[in-house]
Amino acid sequence: MMAENKSESTSNTESTVPGTGTGGTLEKAPLYKPPKERFLEVRGSVGRNESLILGLAGVVAFFGIWEICHYLTPESQQKFLPSVEQVVGKIYGLIRDKGYFSDIGKSVYRIYLSFTVACLIAVPLGLLMGCFIKLRALINPTVGGLRYLPAASFVPLLLVYFGPTDFAKMALLFLGCVFFLIALILDNVLSVPKELIESAQTMGASRRHIVLKVALPAAAPQILDSMRNMIAVSWTYLVIAEIVAATDGIGAVMMRAARFLHVDIIMGGILTIGILGVLTDISFRLAARFLFPYQYARH
Amino acid sequence: MSNSGKDSLSRDASLEQGRAAGEPPARANRVSKEYVGGKIVALDDVSLDIRENQVTALIGPSGCGKTTMLRLIAGLEYPTRGGVEVYGQPILGPGPERGMVFQAYTSFPWLSVLKNVEHGMKIQGLPRDARRARAEKFLKLVHLDDFADSYPVQLSGGMKQRVAIARTLAQNPQLLLLDEPFGALDAQVTWEMEEMIIEIIESENKTVILITHDIQEAIYLADRIIFFTRQPGKIKADMPMEFKGGRRFLRKEDLLSEPGYVDMEKLLYQMMREEIQGRVS
Repeated sequence: MMAENKSESTSNTESTVPGTGTGGTLEKAPLYKPPKERFLEVRGSVGRNESLILGLAGVVAFFGIWEICHYLTPESQQKFLPSVEQVVGKIYGLIRDKGYFSDIGKSVYRIYLSFTVACLIAVPLGLLMGCFIKLRALINPTVGGLRYLPAASFVPLLLVYFGPTDFAKMALLFLGCVFFLIALILDNVLSVPKELIESAQTMGASRRHIVLKVALPAAAPQILDSMRNMIAVSWTYLVIAEIVAATDGIGAVMMRAARFLHVDIIMGGILTIGILGVLTDISFRLAARFLFPYQYARH
Repeated sequence: MSNSGKDSLSRDASLEQGRAAGEPPARANRVSKEYVGGKIVALDDVSLDIRENQVTALIGPSGCGKTTMLRLIAGLEYPTRGGVEVYGQPILGPGPERGMVFQAYTSFPWLSVLKNVEHGMKIQGLPRDARRARAEKFLKLVHLDDFADSYPVQLSGGMKQRVAIARTLAQNPQLLLLDEPFGALDAQVTWEMEEMIIEIIESENKTVILITHDIQEAIYLADRIIFFTRQPGKIKADMPMEFKGGRRFLRKEDLLSEPGYVDMEKLLYQMMREEIQGRVS
């Protein structure tokens, strides 16, 4: 109450001093016009709508350049660089006539199943290695080294072991991301602030409690982010996995098309994988909002 | 206050025995702590007894062993030589009877303020209803009862430290270890927090060890100030705040007019200057 009265009285005296407001209603100072922000302002600002428009502009520009390149190509060569509408039309045709959806479904199934298994191994391993330094000393040099083995080089080996099976393809997708995933999750757990762990210790927390109820939830948002990045890598391995003796899946459709120089189908496959990748990314971001609401909480 | 008698937060029987036998809440016995293979001597043959229900401030220049001493008592580190005891029992690691408030913000960001305060009691296996009631009591004590359902990201720095203090008090420690708890806060918030700590100490009757580099803060909060030197870390002076006559001042300005206050502040500044000038920095 006191404070309110005080501020009122001071604002009254202020208004009478410059002699602008003649004791009556207070006129507000004119709106401040900040200097115009240039398009390339260092650490400038971007509104929600503005960033949506800019993002769309980027997409339109990409397809625009593609389209221009198509029309600049001599007519005799145009089948090697089909236009956007030809590729989209081809995708539609594949869906209508060739059961493309079941190929997409098969690819999505392979990616998600192999990635889930990779996570089921990488999350516990990364978490334990991040919490217990001796486990890290035991496991990390090996796992760290395995990251340098190119996943594609496992293809012959997997063919010998498992033949042209679904299992071989998923094993390749799994090998392509699991070692990186372990390394990333280890880093995520290691970057949990020391004080968070120590304060749990001074509350008398057991090791189990610290691992599962402190380190895991503390690192969880970053772990999900690592997963989001690694599933993108998994998508990039899809075609390699489905090249070999595959009869279904997006990669198989593309390889079959390559034999007949059907560039429009190949590009349709690339576009499909791109779209599915973006959808995966979006679903991970939505999952983060759902799983970690506290990160988005504001007053 | 009657709540604290009813709650079933268990206390170690051997600690209770030590307490009954008159052992001090914390004792360092000829403690040395060396880092980097002896190149850094954070503590050099330091002995001290912490007295029950007193606020003891450990102060000294940056890099003196004050924080190391607190971490040894917390059980987060072990000495190179000598021993550290709690109520006569050698320290074998951290324990809930030694609650600690850190300088860094340690609220768990994925838990609401209320759940944060409940966390220590949950670890100790207190039933849900008892936990809730006790958490609410301590949130009220740190004036955060309106923010029980907020997440830590929604709070200011001072509020986050109040959550940490409430959480630590709620676990019912016998020793409250404060490691520069206001070091990251601005001057006005620090001052509000200091007065709140005085209120809490008056109502909760805890043994407190406070690490600070702020001379005024040490004099205001402490019943006894122990001044540490730097490299090697030794005790330069051990001073009871006799001029306060055992009183605690709920308002900081009341302390400033107390005869003896200025002399104490001057003495500590002189000590600090001696320590800083003793080195090429």
